[in-house]
Formats: sequence, C-alpha cells, structure tokens
Amino acid sequence: MDDLRIVERSVDTQGFKITARGVQVYYGEKHALKDVDCDILDKTVTAFIGPSGCGKSTFLRCLNRMNDTVSIARVQGEIRLDGEDIYDKRVDPVQLRAKVGMVFQKPNPFPKSIYDNVAYGPKIHGLTRSKSELDGIVEASLKKAALWNEVKDRLGEPGTGLSGGQQQRLCIARAVATHPEVLLMDEPCSALDPIATAQVEELIDELRSNFSVVIVTHSMQQAARVSQKTAFFHLGNLVEYGETGQIFTNPKDPRTESYISGRIG
Amino acid sequence: MSVFLLIVVLLVLGIAGYVLGRGRALSSVGGNPRKLHSLPGYYGWHGAILAILPALVALTMWVIAQPLIIERQLADFFPAEQIENDSQRVLLLTDVRRVAQGLDTAVAAGALTEEQAAMIRTEFGSVRDRLATVGVALGSEVTPQVLQAAQRYRELAATGGLWRMIVTLAIALGGLAWAVRTTNGDLRARNRVEVVILGLLILASTIAILTTIGIVLSMLSETIRFSTMYPFADFLFGLTWQPTFQGNSELGLIPLLWGTLYISLVSMIVAVPIGLFTAIYLAEYATPRVRSIVKPLIEVIAGIPTVVFGLFALVTVGPFLRDWFAAPTGLGTSGSSVMTAGIVIGILNIPFISSLADDIINAVPQSLRDGSYGLGATKSETIRQVVLPAALPGIVGAILLAASRAIGETMIVTMGAGAAAKLDLNPFEAMTTITVKIVSQLTGDTEFNSPETLVAFALGMTLFVITLGLNIFALWVVRKYREQYE
Repeated sequence: MDDLRIVERSVDTQGFKITARGVQVYYGEKHALKDVDCDILDKTVTAFIGPSGCGKSTFLRCLNRMNDTVSIARVQGEIRLDGEDIYDKRVDPVQLRAKVGMVFQKPNPFPKSIYDNVAYGPKIHGLTRSKSELDGIVEASLKKAALWNEVKDRLGEPGTGLSGGQQQRLCIARAVATHPEVLLMDEPCSALDPIATAQVEELIDELRSNFSVVIVTHSMQQAARVSQKTAFFHLGNLVEYGETGQIFTNPKDPRTESYISGRIG
Repeated sequence: MSVFLLIVVLLVLGIAGYVLGRGRALSSVGGNPRKLHSLPGYYGWHGAILAILPALVALTMWVIAQPLIIERQLADFFPAEQIENDSQRVLLLTDVRRVAQGLDTAVAAGALTEEQAAMIRTEFGSVRDRLATVGVALGSEVTPQVLQAAQRYRELAATGGLWRMIVTLAIALGGLAWAVRTTNGDLRARNRVEVVILGLLILASTIAILTTIGIVLSMLSETIRFSTMYPFADFLFGLTWQPTFQGNSELGLIPLLWGTLYISLVSMIVAVPIGLFTAIYLAEYATPRVRSIVKPLIEVIAGIPTVVFGLFALVTVGPFLRDWFAAPTGLGTSGSSVMTAGIVIGILNIPFISSLADDIINAVPQSLRDGSYGLGATKSETIRQVVLPAALPGIVGAILLAASRAIGETMIVTMGAGAAAKLDLNPFEAMTTITVKIVSQLTGDTEFNSPETLVAFALGMTLFVITLGLNIFALWVVRKYREQYE
C-alpha cells in the first residue's frame, strides 16, 4: 500500500472532458442514481469505487448512453462531452459510442478471428479506405493493448481461443481501434487472474496519454494503483470526488472513510 | 390365475414389502430414524422392489417362452409333410389356438363341461356346430388332429398357467422374505434403490435405440429380398419409374428422388427466409407484449395436422398457382405441382425454423451485443455481424432438421404434388416423391413377394439413409461450432 502515501499526484490535464450535472437514473420504480454532479478530466484515469449496487456502473453506462439499450431505464439531467449535451435529441447514440468506447467486466470477444475483432469498429464506421490502412489500425491497436507480440502470428485464429487476460486485452484493442476520446471500463479485471490484472493495469496507465479513462472497480488497491482521480458512490449518491491520494489517505466524508477502511461494503 | 390377476397380487405383495421393509428398518433402530443409513422410505422401496421386480421379470420371461414351448410340443400331432413349410405350420397352429379358445368360451358359457371339452371327439358330431351355438365361428370343419392338438393345448396351457402362478408367487414371496431378513439400520437401501432407478433409465433409453435398430433391420431384410428380384443398380440409377402388375416393371429411383429433392428445395426457399426473419424480429426487435402474442400464434401452424395442409394445397394453393401463374405463362395446366407442394411444406416448416432459430438467437450472450453496441454499432449491424454469426451453427442445424422433415413429408405431397414420376425442371409440372410412391405401392391388395411391392422397402431405406445423413450432418455442424462464443 505504499502508493497510498503519495498524496500529491501529477495530473497533466487539459480541462474537463465530460461534465455531468444533476444526473438521475431510474430503473422502473427504482431510483438508482441520485443527483450526481461530476467532472471528468481529459488524459486522466478516473476511478469509480463503492459497494455493489451503489450506482457506479449505472453512471458509467450513462456516459455512452448504454442505458438506452435497457428498456426500463430513464435518465434525467445533463451530461456534456466537450460541451455538447449527449442526451440532446440530435445526438445519435451510435455516433456517441464510437467516441466513448467501452470495455466490459467479462471479456466478450466476438466469435470471429482476432483480426476481425479489432477491425470490427473501423469497418462499421468506415474509418479506412484500404486493406493496408486497416491492417495498420489493427496492428497499432493490438500494440497499444500490449497484445501484438502474442498474437501477430495467428491473427486469423478465433478471438475466443485466447486466454482470459488476452481476451480482455483484445477487447481493449477493439475499443481503441475506433479512436475513441474516452474509454469506459466496467470492472475490466474482475474476471482475470493477478498476472493478467497487472498487465491490464499497466495498459490503463499507458492509455492515459491518449484518452480519458474512466474505470469502475471493486478493488480499492486497483483504484489507488491506476487512477489519479477517484469518485466514491454510495446508495446512488456521489459521496466524494477528488484526488485519489486524498480520498484514500484523508477522506472528508465519514462514509468514504468507513468504506475504505472496510467498515461498510 | 390370469396374468392380470398375478400382477395385481404382485402389487399387493409390493405394498406389503414397502410396509414391512420400512417398519423393520425403524424397529431395528428403536424407532429413531436418525440412526438409519437411509431415509425410512428407502427401506420401504427396497422391500417393494425385491418383492415385485424379480417376480415380474420371471413372469415376463414365462409369458414369452410358454407359447413357444407349447407350439413345439403340438408339432407331434401333425404329420411331418403338413408342417414342413413355415406358412402352413403357422396356419395350423392358428387353427389350433382358435379351436382351443372356442372350447374355452364354450366351457365358460356353460355349453360344455370341463370333462366334455377334454373328451369331445369329431366322431360324435360336428365340433364346428357345437361351437357355433356358443358364438364361436370357425372357418372350416375341425379335423381330428386339430381338435386333439387343441385339447392338448388346453391341458398344457392350464398346467403352464398353474406353474406360472406358483413360480411367480414363490419368487415374489422369496424376494419379500429376503428383503425383510436383510433389512436393518446399516443396510444401504438408498444406494440399492438408486441402482434400480438407474437401470430403469437405461432401459428406457435402450428401448428407443432398439426400436430404431429394429426398423432398420426389417427394412434392410426386405430391401435385400428386393435386390434378389430386381437388379439394384437399375433401381438406384434407373431413369424411369413404371411399375406394372404383369412384371417387367421399371423401378428407377431417380425420378422419385428428383421430385423429392425439388419439392424440398422449393419448400426450403419458402421456409428459411421467412422463418429466419420471423425469428430475428421476435428475438431482437419485438417488445415482450408483441412477442407473447405473435410467438404462440406462429406455433399454432405447427399444431395443424399435415392432412389439413394437404387440403389447403389441393383446394386453394394449387388452383391459385395454376390460374394465376402456370396457365397465363403457359408453364402448366395442373393444380398439382412442385410449387404447390413445396410452398405448402414451406409454410408448414416456418414455425419449426422460427421457433428453433429464436431460441438459438436468444442463447447468444447479451455481453456480445453490449460489446458491439459499445463500439458504436447499430442494432442491425450488431445482428448481422455479431449475433447471426454466433448463432449460425445452431441455425444451420435447425435448417437441416427442417430439410429432413420436408424430405419425409407425405400427406402434403400426396395431395399437392401429383402422382406422375417425371424428370422435369418446370416447377409447375406435377411430380411425385419417394414417400408418395411408398404409400401407393403398399396400399390395396398386395402380396409381399413381388418386386413392385418390395420396392417400397428399398425406397424407405433410401429415404432413411438421406434423412439420417442430413441429421448426422446437422449434429456435426452444431457440435463442431457450438462452443464458439463460450
């Protein structure tokens, strides 16, 4: 837990990427997210922590409108990406999701070859004009996801044949290939062993140079290791949001302190 | 004692075994069920099974074996030349049984006493007339040998019945006694009962397999008989189907096979797209409310008897196609055609494909769809590029199963496709299929010794091989690609 002592962390930001104001989410009758205000910085890893059912994944799924695919979900409030309201009627959620990529809890490679998994996004968005350009994107994405050396000789094999950690890095490569501006990660390491987790965490740190990364995690150590900013959610409320070091060493709210010291969860 | 009565007695003994086994187990531990190895009910079942099962097996074997043994003994009554050939022997034995039954009925009706029935002789008057008075009609006058054999048959059957009762009851009581004697708190009754259950499960699954093997063997033997009467290569590769009843038939398979495959092809062209699109709509787009109404409605089609579909083909689809398509374009003048039968079979198969494909599409994990949406794909792109490829092996399996149903369909083609065996490309021409010809070769007064009749078995065998091949191929496809997304 050495890293917890580093209170001051370098945050090289260029201002806010996403600003959320008064976000409310209802699943049918259930009020899942209550009046959340949150500013997410560019080129930063932001971690959402909190006990199960606290609304952290719900908030994450608001950021790329994945909640639209859940028929009973209702979202109110305002979320702006680079100053543009993403819940505006003129915004096509499909276009938005190309800009705000997502990596899921369980590795979910498509039942296609490794190459086609990564090329999927660029193909449907028409990002490339030629096969060689597509090859370039695939290679660059796999390299960014630190998977290239392991799979470069078997790009034609099914992505489902990889190990769990490799599959998750493949999913990251797949998300990176569409050149998103924000990358949302919903507990990306919860299905992985410690070695694969370490690889993915290292990767998240590298991705910070290009994207704004938002990660939901159950592991407080992981939040402390990879993030610069941390938000603590409890019972649908955003309780505290601040520098990671400050949240873990000097929380302002008693609920945050109880959670990180293991008294509520 | 009749077999039915015996079984009732066995059941009573079984209940006794249950009560005794359970009671004895409990009393052996002083009424404290916690000291028993198994729950008290298992000791009861153990007793019941030991009382019933061995006796029931013995009874079954006895019932099968007794007639065989008696028939062998009866053979002594007849001169060797009368029972030389199989069919004669069977006829004589049928006569004997019939007379014996007649005597039984007569005794039961009081027309004869037991002694009279045993003593009655053809010399003292017509046995046929005596039996006719109690309502037993015999085809011809009873010969002395048959009458004697029948009387012997009755004696043997009576003795057999007596011993059958003694042996069965002895085994049942023995089993019961053994169960009671061995029952104590340490007996692993639960494990023993479960072995019996396992045996029951294996028996059930074996019956289905044995039936299939039996069907194949019976068809195979008739097919082999057919091949001794008609050159098999001519059957397989002959281009003409022209059975005549004076002999010199031409029994070529190819026209029938062509008709079968052509009609199946048309039906699949109808059923696959409609069924698949239905499944995609239901699985991906329909709201739960729409789905709960539409899905059962589509499945109603599957419940309609095929003969009703045949009527639909005969009176609606056939004339419609003839009057609006075939006649104006000059392609044909017949209401019965490949198109008629194919379209109606296709409609029949729509719910089959849509229902199976719907289940398969629903089985594709939601995480794959989320992954695709998360990359900014639309619903349609997700379905085309992620969901359908993931579901493809299952869908191919469903299509192949539907194809083998189309190939084996009989009623609709009988009523909608016509009866003319033809090799033609025109889909508005009447053609016929293997199934139709099997039916027509076997209906009416037929003897099972001419190639014209036996060809039905060879046709059946061909059909069996084709559908079996398709089913195996379907299973292979499903198995090879099944776990791709897991």
